[in-house]
Amino acid sequence: VSGEPLPFKTSAPLTLGVELELQLINTRDCDLTRAASDLLEAMPPGTSSFEVKPEITESMIEVSTSVHTRHATLLTELRQIRDALVPAAERLNIAVSGGGAHPFQHWSERQIYDGPRFKHLNDLYGYLAKQFTVFGQHVHVGCAHGDDALFLLHAMSRYVPHFIALAASSPFYQGVDTAFDSSRLNSIFAFPLSGRAPFMLRWSEFNQYFERVRGYGIVQSMKDFYWDIRPKPEYGTIEIRVFDTPLTVERAAALAAYAQMLSRFLLVERPVRPSEEDYLVYTYNRFQACRFGLEGNFIDPVSQTHRTLREDLVSTLRRLEPHARELDCVEPAHALVAIAETHGNDARWMRSAFGRSESLQDLMWQASRRWRGEAVKD
Amino acid sequence: MAELFFLPRDLSAHGPVLWFGVLVFVGMLTGELMAKALKLPRIVGFVAAGVFLGPQVLDVIDKDTLFELRGFLDIARGLVLFELGQRVDFGWLKRNPWLLGTSLLEAAFSFFGVGAVLLILDVKPIIAATAAAIAMGTSPAVVLAVSKDLRAQGQVTERLLLLTALNSIYAILVATMLVAWLHLEYQGGWSVILLHPLYLMAGALVLSAALAAATLSILGRLGRRADAQFVAVIAMVVLAVALAEALRLSVVLTLLCFGVLTRILDRERRFVSLSFGREGLFFMVVLFSLTGATLEFQHFAMGAFAGLGLIAVRALAKTTAIFALTRSSGLSLRKASLLSIGLTPMSGTALLLAQDFYVLYPGFGPELNAVMVSTVAMLEILGPLAVNFALRQAREAA
Repeated sequence: VSGEPLPFKTSAPLTLGVELELQLINTRDCDLTRAASDLLEAMPPGTSSFEVKPEITESMIEVSTSVHTRHATLLTELRQIRDALVPAAERLNIAVSGGGAHPFQHWSERQIYDGPRFKHLNDLYGYLAKQFTVFGQHVHVGCAHGDDALFLLHAMSRYVPHFIALAASSPFYQGVDTAFDSSRLNSIFAFPLSGRAPFMLRWSEFNQYFERVRGYGIVQSMKDFYWDIRPKPEYGTIEIRVFDTPLTVERAAALAAYAQMLSRFLLVERPVRPSEEDYLVYTYNRFQACRFGLEGNFIDPVSQTHRTLREDLVSTLRRLEPHARELDCVEPAHALVAIAETHGNDARWMRSAFGRSESLQDLMWQASRRWRGEAVKD
Repeated sequence: MAELFFLPRDLSAHGPVLWFGVLVFVGMLTGELMAKALKLPRIVGFVAAGVFLGPQVLDVIDKDTLFELRGFLDIARGLVLFELGQRVDFGWLKRNPWLLGTSLLEAAFSFFGVGAVLLILDVKPIIAATAAAIAMGTSPAVVLAVSKDLRAQGQVTERLLLLTALNSIYAILVATMLVAWLHLEYQGGWSVILLHPLYLMAGALVLSAALAAATLSILGRLGRRADAQFVAVIAMVVLAVALAEALRLSVVLTLLCFGVLTRILDRERRFVSLSFGREGLFFMVVLFSLTGATLEFQHFAMGAFAGLGLIAVRALAKTTAIFALTRSSGLSLRKASLLSIGLTPMSGTALLLAQDFYVLYPGFGPELNAVMVSTVAMLEILGPLAVNFALRQAREAA
């Protein structure tokens, strides 16, 4: 509808795009290092479809893929991005790593990237802006129109704990084991506009809501909302933001495939009518996923039954099998079952790597080797 | 009055220790003043305090006192060199060979540029060559101290540290060969020319490897406790300085190698938590205030003009080399120019080299000494300002 403040751009349903926020560390003690501008300068210009951008601190860069319809091509592009970044970083003697948070960095050491938006965030949020040095994966799923986007956004809320537990890779923060599998999301909670999107299923309704909130002067654009899942009308997508950046591009691609399979299941089968009631268990389930990962407790909002997140995840994946076949996602679906049942999430790998060396520096070094695709002990 | 033996008698008997305390205290205060009021690097204040209290101005720290305090200076310098060696990553040269190229070119240009100009000015070849060798080196202490003071991170900082470690090594090796050349001029055989540098290199490597292995094995036993590691490392550095001197090896070369090897041999990353951060500041005050006290300005009339010329030629040589390879090594032109500026400080160790000459070959020294002493004195103040400017302009300061 023309005249809306937020026109929703149509995009091909179930297309995927991935953004990864990555850590830049030095090779000496593996602490975060201010290198984003240097690395961006050192990247070969304009040769690829993907983008590399600075993020809020100089110790972080964001890479984003182009739009994909299939997991296989997404993975190929993610590997290309990795293979372009790694040698550029090597020339500058820095290392790139996944992981949702740096295990021992001190936030007061962080420097805010030189740009007007980042300066604004720093002025507004003070120490929160620097503490926001956490690293997430954002997955965009294409939607035909705004109403579909809102349906998908709310129908997907039930599965947000799955996303969190599968991707969790920030067990250590500020030099300690936080006991959480994803400590990163705790940093995001501190922001006033975090949490979940308000419940409404019509895009016109959402526009009215946005107008009102903007009228109060609370936000200026959609960028000011830090919701777990938010609509991205200018791309014609919903953007899932609860993933910690995984330690490998393979896992990043598998997580995106999971979002795609789920989206197809929800949009095609329409198994549920989303309701505000679903959100009664939302924060409980979300906490369980952050704190305990796949061992967390999960309450089904509809049936009100309790089971572990792992059980719910595995049974969901079983239910998604026909959609996995339709989307050529059988392979990542198997990989996700293996993560749930045997390997565990990256947080588990990080705890066991730390157990071997008792050194957070060494953990970070191993993590950066995993990111490069080198075989590192599981 | 013999029964009142406990009353103080002669204060001057405790002179050196007393004035050492005063020097460190005044140095620290001046440094803070520089940082707070003028936004300049602290070490400029440390040096200024040394000059002021030293033989040049107030003379409360006289030459005898300086001689007695030499041990402190050696230890503080040893720590700086060790830390620099530990910070630089020679693996980087493998991953980015253009850096090694840059380093060799920058040192070669400095050597030949400065040497050529001195020859044109009719300086004796051996003296020109020695001055040129000294001009290759950048001061490890100044570069490390300013970058730590600013908590700088980034390509200009990292490359500056790497190039400094490398050109310090070249400077010592070339200077040593020149000493051997002098042996030849003043009698002696060809074997000395080869054996002396060889002894210095091999000796530094063997000693530093032994020290590094010992340090890592001690650290393995201590565990990852920063405080214990800190004390253990200071002890090892003091030992290294003493052993290098006893074996008549180069302290600079040995301590740099000690740092480098400690990092290379540390496969389990035991040592990575080490930082001479806050505790290290004390040693920085000691190092720079004592260095300030040793600066000499009386040769200024004779040496300052030539010194300024030497600084300019050296800067031009280094800048040309850095610019020649900057694209290939992955650095923007803007940062390349800042890196060139950062290489300005010249080593106080250079002065020691010149003075070694003086001791070995009296009758040879004064010409060279006047130029070098003036140059080093000027750069002891200008150098930190240059590094400060470069790192701030590169936006690498915290």
